[in-house]
Amino acid sequence: MHLSCRSIRPSSLVQTAGSLLISAMPLLAQGQTEVGIPVTDSLVLAKCGACHAADEKGNLQRISWARATPEGWQEALKRMIREHDVSLTPPEARAIVKYLSGRHGLAPEESKPVMYYAERRVHDEAGLLNAPLLEACGKCHDAARALSWRRTADGWKQFAETHAGRYRFKPDQQAIAYLAKVAPFYSREWASWRARANAPEPTGRWLMTAHVQGRGKFHGEIDVEAAGGVDEFLTRMRLHSVNDGVVVVRTGRSVMYGGSAWRGRSQGISVANAAPDDLSTEAREAMWVAPDGSKVEGRWFWGQYDELGVDVTMQRASADPALLLVDPPSFKAGSNASRIRLIGDRFPAQVTPADVSVGPGMTVRRIISSTPDEIVAEVDVAADALAGKRNVSFRSSTLESAVAIYDRVDYVKVTPESSLATFGNQTHSRGFQQFEAIGYQRGADGRPHTADDLELGPVQVTWSMEVFYEIDPTKQDRVGTVSPTGFFTPAAANPGNNYDVWIIATAKTEKGKDGKPLVGKGYVVVTVPTYTFEGRTFVRELDRWIEEGSSAR
Amino acid sequence: MRTFTSGLVLFLAAGALAIAHHGLAAFDQTNKVTLKGTVTEFHFVNPHSVVEFEVKDDKGHVQEWQAEMTSPVHLKGWTATSLEPGNVVTVTGYRAKSGAFYLWVTNLSSSNGVELRALK
Repeated sequence: MHLSCRSIRPSSLVQTAGSLLISAMPLLAQGQTEVGIPVTDSLVLAKCGACHAADEKGNLQRISWARATPEGWQEALKRMIREHDVSLTPPEARAIVKYLSGRHGLAPEESKPVMYYAERRVHDEAGLLNAPLLEACGKCHDAARALSWRRTADGWKQFAETHAGRYRFKPDQQAIAYLAKVAPFYSREWASWRARANAPEPTGRWLMTAHVQGRGKFHGEIDVEAAGGVDEFLTRMRLHSVNDGVVVVRTGRSVMYGGSAWRGRSQGISVANAAPDDLSTEAREAMWVAPDGSKVEGRWFWGQYDELGVDVTMQRASADPALLLVDPPSFKAGSNASRIRLIGDRFPAQVTPADVSVGPGMTVRRIISSTPDEIVAEVDVAADALAGKRNVSFRSSTLESAVAIYDRVDYVKVTPESSLATFGNQTHSRGFQQFEAIGYQRGADGRPHTADDLELGPVQVTWSMEVFYEIDPTKQDRVGTVSPTGFFTPAAANPGNNYDVWIIATAKTEKGKDGKPLVGKGYVVVTVPTYTFEGRTFVRELDRWIEEGSSAR
Repeated sequence: MRTFTSGLVLFLAAGALAIAHHGLAAFDQTNKVTLKGTVTEFHFVNPHSVVEFEVKDDKGHVQEWQAEMTSPVHLKGWTATSLEPGNVVTVTGYRAKSGAFYLWVTNLSSSNGVELRALK
């Protein structure tokens, strides 16, 4: 966790006590009828207790009736530093975030639905959440930011009133009621999680798989060792590209908050080159740890807008063989003598076709080669094999829906389907975008773009772009360029305007019924980093423009 | 017949990609044109949904048009399959000033019964 704490000032909390929401009234008289979480850490008591009054049970006003993710506590602490002159050194700030995230954190089941916020993923919340909540929160930030907290009903009411007063809007009673219902201070998940005496110990060897947009799958391992501090770890990982064998070695440092929130930083051992998407670039890590400690998943990310990154999954290594990945991800019905790669860990020296199961309609003809981490086999696919996903197993290790059998490629989808890229200026670097082309077969309903469609994996395509309304293609360079690998780079000069652009993937081999190559399109808005409207300055955030200074909300 | 009404959000403002992000300056708002054609693709995406369709001109040549609409969140009741390849659509709107085959949709009706009636 890296917290910016530049305001290390000698001013005492006493000087600002009046501006904090304190009260000498007994806490129960304020409506805090639920049992709070006593604060026992001396630093938190010293730094927060002067303004957040304590009761006889060791509860600190407001703090003892709130729980949050590390990001939530970090934001709260920043606000205290910024608005209430709280004086902290960076180590003190980190220690307070660590304590509160552990003792006043979220259970894994509570944090998982809002991990996209910590992972800095663009996530369309429309239709998923309560409309008044989206209306109340979504103009300035993800609703997940609010849902990263747990409070009592009174706590939500008090928070909403304070927030509304600070940012001059009218509290929405429906949104407050919704938050009190779906994000309560007390929950069975939290009670269960809190009762467990020991958090999972992450030290040791883990197996990794990763997806890098535009570069496909990676696999490898990560060694985690204790770093000296409680719940602090050093990491060393080695990733191999499934597509081209490129190896990336990274080292890092991480903190495990409350046994379920992995946050860290890592970077390649080789110096990152100038390419913005270089995989040695320093990255932040935000990952979720499964309650039993057997699995970790999340995102490593970097870039001006955190737009570049790696989707990571980790599982504990064991003494048994483990199947991690299968390549390629799809086979055409009726294809014979195709090679399939099973990538994993601790495969035995002797492997036979009987060890590998590839599901109905597929037959393992022979094992071509095997090493401890890769088996190459030859498979036949029956001409009448039903289209659909198949599990693939090596002995008792099964990878669900690991390969798809298909008849035809019906369409190509470009991901992300809609996105932002941003010109740079004196204060902001450019924001980039990596695209990927995925093939699909229509499902049983016969309609494209529906839930039953069969994903077949990346398709070889030629990339191009088209600026909306532009009839002269030679003028596209002023907006940007798309590389042969689907990486969009905005033009170096900021034209001070927005452009809507299609990023177009034209399949090299797959054709439609009309005999023309299949084409997919992704919609990217290439925009400015900041703009002024009616005297107010707006800056681009992850997926929106927000008024300057409001990001601290 | 399913009829949907769309408000036009005109300018970049605080809010997610779901908010329309540009005005109509790129379109000639003094003249509405109406085209009839066959849908080749429908993009139900932010910040603007776009329908691609083919129109035959007077000489029988096929023109590939794109018609831009508001964002999915404002297309109440629409889904990614509201318009599908093969649907015949009648589209009315403002054409791009550049002369490119782009329209800003004000009204749309499709052979599958879907209809969009915009406020502007």
